[in-house]
Amino acid sequence: MSEPELKTKVEELVSDHEVLLFMKGTPEQPRCGFSMRVVGVLDSMGVEYAALDVLPALEPLREATGEIADWRTFPQLYVKGELVGGADIVEEMAESGELAVLLGAPQPSDAGSADEQPSAKQEMQQADEYQSPPMQIEN
Amino acid sequence: MAIALEEVRLLIEASLPGATVEVADQTGTQDHLEATVAAPQFEGLSRLEQHRLVKRAVQARFDDGSIHALSIRTSVPA
Repeated sequence: MSEPELKTKVEELVSDHEVLLFMKGTPEQPRCGFSMRVVGVLDSMGVEYAALDVLPALEPLREATGEIADWRTFPQLYVKGELVGGADIVEEMAESGELAVLLGAPQPSDAGSADEQPSAKQEMQQADEYQSPPMQIEN
Repeated sequence: MAIALEEVRLLIEASLPGATVEVADQTGTQDHLEATVAAPQFEGLSRLEQHRLVKRAVQARFDDGSIHALSIRTSVPA
């Protein structure tokens, strides 16, 4: 598959699946700790998702997602056609309840409710005390 | 291939002038790193965008295999 064809294929996958995880390995057998963490989050939330193992075509997929979403590392979680992030952003959003809102899943019992989620504007106002979660980049 | 923590720090600082950058070695092998970056350029950006800026600064060192994994923490300086 040529590079433009792969890019088109990736775009189709992203738009055809409401929740899509690009990962190293499979949900049953993750081949990377960070991919395993995202699988753990999604499984614990009981959401249905499609998973694609990037390892058979790692570099071409890196190029394709780099062009599509300006993100070249895996895992990558897409929801409703938009890149959410990698393992640490996903975990942070799961803990805060943001991910449940995004996925339309039940809120985790120990997380804040949806209306407590900071909007982008509120994040800016809280910027001096706001710290993003650690984000893993893997090659 | 390992990379000097100082080099990673300088790459990020050069890309984000005025940023405060700390780089730590997570595994003792100098290829699983953690960068803590407070940059005025992050103001108003989403988490994804903040992380993209940091990743862009060190992308070449990923591409050549010097860094295997990088954990990033971003914040806007007070």
